[in-house]
Amino acid sequence: MINFSKIWLIIKREYKTRVQTKSFMLSTFLTPLLILGIIGLLIFITVSSTDNEAPKQVIVIDETGRMFEPLRQLNASRYIPISASQSVDQIRDLIMEDELDGYVFFDQTFLSEGTPATFVHNGSGGITFFESLRSDVRDVTRQIRLEDNEVSEEVIAIFEERPALENRRLNETGVDEQSNAFLSSIGGILIGVFIFIGLFGYGAILMRSVIEEKTSRIVEIITSSVKPIELMLGKLLGVCLVALTQFSLWIATYAGVTILAAPVAQFFINQRMGDLQNSLIAVDAKGTAANVPSDIDLSFLEQFSIDPLFILYFFVFFVLGFLMYSSIFAAIGAAVDSEQDSQQFMTPVMLPIFLGYMLNFRIAEAPDSTLAIMASLFPLTSPINMVTRMLVSNVPFWEVILSILLLILSLIGMLLLAARIYRTGILMYGKKPTFKELYKWIKQA
Amino acid sequence: MSLVIDVQNVSKHFGKATAVNQVSFGVEKGQIFGLLGPNGAGKTTTIRMINHILNPDTGHISILGEAVSPKSQERIGYLPEERGLYKKMKVFDQLMYLAQLKGLSQTAAKTAIEFWLDRFEASSWKKKEVSELSKGMSQKIQFIATVAHDPEIYIFDEPFSGLDPINSEMLKEVILEEKNRGKTILFSTHRMEQVEQMCDDICLFNQGKAVLQGNLQSIKQSFGNNTVLLDFIGDSEFLNQLEGVRVNNRSTNFAEIRLLEGASPQHILEIAMKHAEIQRFEIVQPSLQDIFISTVNDTKVAV
Repeated sequence: MINFSKIWLIIKREYKTRVQTKSFMLSTFLTPLLILGIIGLLIFITVSSTDNEAPKQVIVIDETGRMFEPLRQLNASRYIPISASQSVDQIRDLIMEDELDGYVFFDQTFLSEGTPATFVHNGSGGITFFESLRSDVRDVTRQIRLEDNEVSEEVIAIFEERPALENRRLNETGVDEQSNAFLSSIGGILIGVFIFIGLFGYGAILMRSVIEEKTSRIVEIITSSVKPIELMLGKLLGVCLVALTQFSLWIATYAGVTILAAPVAQFFINQRMGDLQNSLIAVDAKGTAANVPSDIDLSFLEQFSIDPLFILYFFVFFVLGFLMYSSIFAAIGAAVDSEQDSQQFMTPVMLPIFLGYMLNFRIAEAPDSTLAIMASLFPLTSPINMVTRMLVSNVPFWEVILSILLLILSLIGMLLLAARIYRTGILMYGKKPTFKELYKWIKQA
Repeated sequence: MSLVIDVQNVSKHFGKATAVNQVSFGVEKGQIFGLLGPNGAGKTTTIRMINHILNPDTGHISILGEAVSPKSQERIGYLPEERGLYKKMKVFDQLMYLAQLKGLSQTAAKTAIEFWLDRFEASSWKKKEVSELSKGMSQKIQFIATVAHDPEIYIFDEPFSGLDPINSEMLKEVILEEKNRGKTILFSTHRMEQVEQMCDDICLFNQGKAVLQGNLQSIKQSFGNNTVLLDFIGDSEFLNQLEGVRVNNRSTNFAEIRLLEGASPQHILEIAMKHAEIQRFEIVQPSLQDIFISTVNDTKVAV
């Protein structure tokens, strides 16, 4: 017979004493700032293109006499001619002194015999710069060859064609929406990390509190009023509620931010646009024309919004996963006298959580692989992996239900095992038990 | 006569070790009952079983006529040997929590706690965290936690250990007061003078067994007037020459001498007079301390 009104008292105490602490307030209000920062960063990455670096300057030493001009037409600020007085050694000195980013050397036989061109540089610019240089050289070379061979306009047009591939994901209601696989993968990994930290962080909080009750001996007074299983359940649910409170606050903040983000961003863009237009009028007076983008597409921001149904699943998996893992954490806390002693027992518990965490990156990449399906059904990893999978891909409904059922079953099993260790452990002091002794505690009816 | 606490043939094993072995005893209403015995004799395990924290392997325990249960827990006020409170919790909140766990309603708990805080002149600590309190203060709070739900039975495990003399005296007063209110009190201790001053009945534990029990006065009487108290001035060397006795307690000018089989007090007096100036010679009942030691030693020999 379980006394629910006493469990409720325990839940209330666990909840109140935690929610009223400074560290709870701090972590609750600082984390949204962190999330805001991350969103800001993502928006920044998406909006800003990479070419706002200082333009690179490359001297072209063109012995073929045909390469420089087309390159200059492609990018006049990057490709500059060699002046008559400059020797290669002087150019090398310029590069060493960082006055110049590099030079490209085309041998006389570059076009005729295909001798490789050489790019000598000071190491700045990285892979993106090198790739764009190579693509410029390829384009120009192809152009020259096409001209040399007097290929028809149609064929040239074929070569210049860049067919578009639009990424649209079909959702449950059958409406296809714009999809950004990259963003949802990132989101999937983030949400997995979130659950991982939640399981671990709150599990550790619970364990510490069990150890504290044991070492402060209050547990003997409590167990003279309630059953150990009632105490354990009350603690589990109380800490779980704290976690849910914190998550709800974060999700609310996140939702608020994403809903507000588009109008706010639009507002700032409009303002800047106004400034730009004003300055353009001045520029126009000098007779220079410039291209102004009339509008910036902000619809990508919609991809940051979360589906309420997904939030529900997130909570279901977190709560079940938390109760399962934390019942073990509670048992460990009851078995030891100090946090240091808990290490030995923590390792086997941490392994599956870490496994879920590691697998997460693979699952975000390939959410429908056999590995992903297995991991999202296996109860020790499903709290992390199923949620990630659901965000990245469309998981069949029966798999979600199966995963939840398996999780509930193993949660009950773990709870029963843990309760037996807990019951015996909280009144045992002194020697740290061995695994064999824990097994004996479980066996005692 | 129905017993308030009735322990019958109770045994408890931990692995291969036997903590409590076929123990039976009963506590009557309104009594102060002392559970004595050396460390590790099984007192705390027995107390935990009476409190329904542990379940006996065999045997039966009933409280006020009913088998131990969560309901019986609410009728007991328990002060464990190892005191403990939530360090980071405010005094009042903590007492409210513990009293409600014992089944008190919020309003009843509030009234009771305010009464006791007032009684111990501790009302100003209400909003303090336990970690801010001195040891004596937190002992008072601990005591309030035990009594706030106004139980019919009090169980104190080593209540006087770690108490300063003032708190110790206060606790004694409260115990006697509660007894006068008709409450039944069971406490364990190895401080004999408190048992002699307070207890009606006792049960002596050794190595998991109840080796001696009954009314304190009749137990003492059953041991007879077999102890000699001697105050003297002079060399105490003669005490070693005495035969058929055991010297339980000796200091420079004092000896407590237990007469064994066949020893005569007159003979002791004769020898003593030859060697020292006698200031007191008295034949008395053995002290509980003495009964305790000899019983424990006897059972050790017997086992």
